[in-house]
Amino acid sequence: MKRRSFLKKSSLLAASTFAAPYLLPTGRLFARTASRRVNHVVFCLYAGGVRNMESVHQNEGNLMPALFAGAKSSNPGLDSMPASPFMQPLEKMGTLFKEFRYKEGPTGHFNGHTVAVTGRYTDTGLNLKQNPEYPTIFEYYLKHNSPSQTAQNAWWISNSLGPYPALNYSRHPSYGPMFGANHITPTMLISPDVYPAIGKPKQFQFHEEEAVSKVRDFLNKNFDKQAGQVGLGINNEAADAKRIADFIQNLIDRGLSGEFLNPLGVPLTLANNDIFTTLFAEEVIKEFKPELLTVNMTDVDVCHQDFSEYCNNLQKADYAVAHLWDTIQQTPGMANDTVMIIVPEHGRNLQPNSIRDIYGRFAVDHTGDATSREIFCMVIGPDNLIQQDKVVGTPSNPVGESIDVVPTIATLLGFDADIPSGLLPGRFLHEAFV
Amino acid sequence: MVMNSFYDCPQLIGFILLLMLMSCNEPDKIYQYEVDNVDVTQPGIDKDNIKSELEFISLAYSDLFGTTLTNDQLLSLVVAYNSLGDKGLIADIIVRNFLNNPGADVPSVQEMEADIPGFIKDTYQRFYVREPSEYELWYLQDLIVNDEDMTPEILYYAFLTSDEYRFF
Repeated sequence: MKRRSFLKKSSLLAASTFAAPYLLPTGRLFARTASRRVNHVVFCLYAGGVRNMESVHQNEGNLMPALFAGAKSSNPGLDSMPASPFMQPLEKMGTLFKEFRYKEGPTGHFNGHTVAVTGRYTDTGLNLKQNPEYPTIFEYYLKHNSPSQTAQNAWWISNSLGPYPALNYSRHPSYGPMFGANHITPTMLISPDVYPAIGKPKQFQFHEEEAVSKVRDFLNKNFDKQAGQVGLGINNEAADAKRIADFIQNLIDRGLSGEFLNPLGVPLTLANNDIFTTLFAEEVIKEFKPELLTVNMTDVDVCHQDFSEYCNNLQKADYAVAHLWDTIQQTPGMANDTVMIIVPEHGRNLQPNSIRDIYGRFAVDHTGDATSREIFCMVIGPDNLIQQDKVVGTPSNPVGESIDVVPTIATLLGFDADIPSGLLPGRFLHEAFV
Repeated sequence: MVMNSFYDCPQLIGFILLLMLMSCNEPDKIYQYEVDNVDVTQPGIDKDNIKSELEFISLAYSDLFGTTLTNDQLLSLVVAYNSLGDKGLIADIIVRNFLNNPGADVPSVQEMEADIPGFIKDTYQRFYVREPSEYELWYLQDLIVNDEDMTPEILYYAFLTSDEYRFF
């Protein structure tokens, strides 16, 4: 009799479970049925201001041999970098939008980054101390992706501090920090200067952690505000936070042991911040296998005062991007299931400024002329998804804009249909897809 | 005798009327219990401002070490704080790093157990700049007495990483 009663109750429970609609964080009862095209997207901002003249047009010879076909540059002042891990340039593994455009707004670095991650052009009133006005790609992903994911699947890895940490979430009232990505500036966090501040944290045993939680929960229940809800950024669940803390500690310990003295196989004397940032982005990839990761590089911005070093850093970033793609292809779970989008945030002026480097070449700024709006975009990925060895766009017929990357990522990960209309003016870069 | 109806008993009716009359003249009573007035306002409710990262870090340091940070120390702590998006997590790492520093002024278990109410009051004053409520005092006292894992270090860690500590 008891068994019969149990079975009856179990059946009712099971039936109700299947019948009950799921309430998603978006407020929708069921996820839309948009299907994913790929399970991971890596968005690589080849930033700092890259002029098409030195990238795709190769006016200085091919400074980016890992990305583009063409004879390697023999410019003076170029360090000898390791060869790309790939026999062929990355452009053969996908579609190159050779004449991409950053059409509107100031050609400032933070403006360009904001446009890249929000899919909206900015005006001159951008406040460097504020999160963007419009939602970022991370928020769209964490709010609309189904099934819901935690911020362990969404990472913003910035090359430097300044305003860049603010790009992991917006101040849009419908989004914000609860849908924000995990941000890290690894070259600042994992460094000898910061080691005394975070290098040897007290490790509590499990039972001690429980005791801490007991007290902290009591204290928090007796207080009417939550720190996490008043502008203190994103807040990982306890287990996720523990995993990230362990990950950081592991990087610190490995850094102390000298493991990173030859980053990406580059001699330490030649490694710049872009190389180290890429190294740590690869560590995030290996540990978390994130569905969405955005990383930026900015060392080419030395071009304001040193054109030859700009060329040198272009080739270093080029090598780093190829190494990143190689790591993705070596990472189970991400290999053959990842699309990488590579794009500078904006270009540089046609006319140089008056600063000469030691080789007598003039430096170049970026102040919003037509040339500083000319950039490239490369989309690479599995050949069953991405058009291989395809070039799109000409100077007289440019194809694609900076604001098109966010809708493209949303479509790739299958949550584009859930994004409220009117938020994203850009389009899916269909030219790159099979 | 069994009454057939209510109206069969005029004495009862008269008694009830008398009672009603008396009750109408009864003045409102004010009951006075031998209990002091208690302020039921939530503790710390007047703390509306969140500490900036500089304020949080430098106050946590001075609350633990009884001295101020040097500029170099402060700079490296601010860089660490800004380099991670989860502020609760990086604050936690910074605080645990402080606690691992032998210079931190943390009482011993023996000192705590010698005067538990005094320890709790000192802890509230040190980190929250206020007295604990009677309930807070009772609850934490009970916790310290009955949970052998409770040490001053654990209590300090919990206070420093609590929500109220982020406000002033």
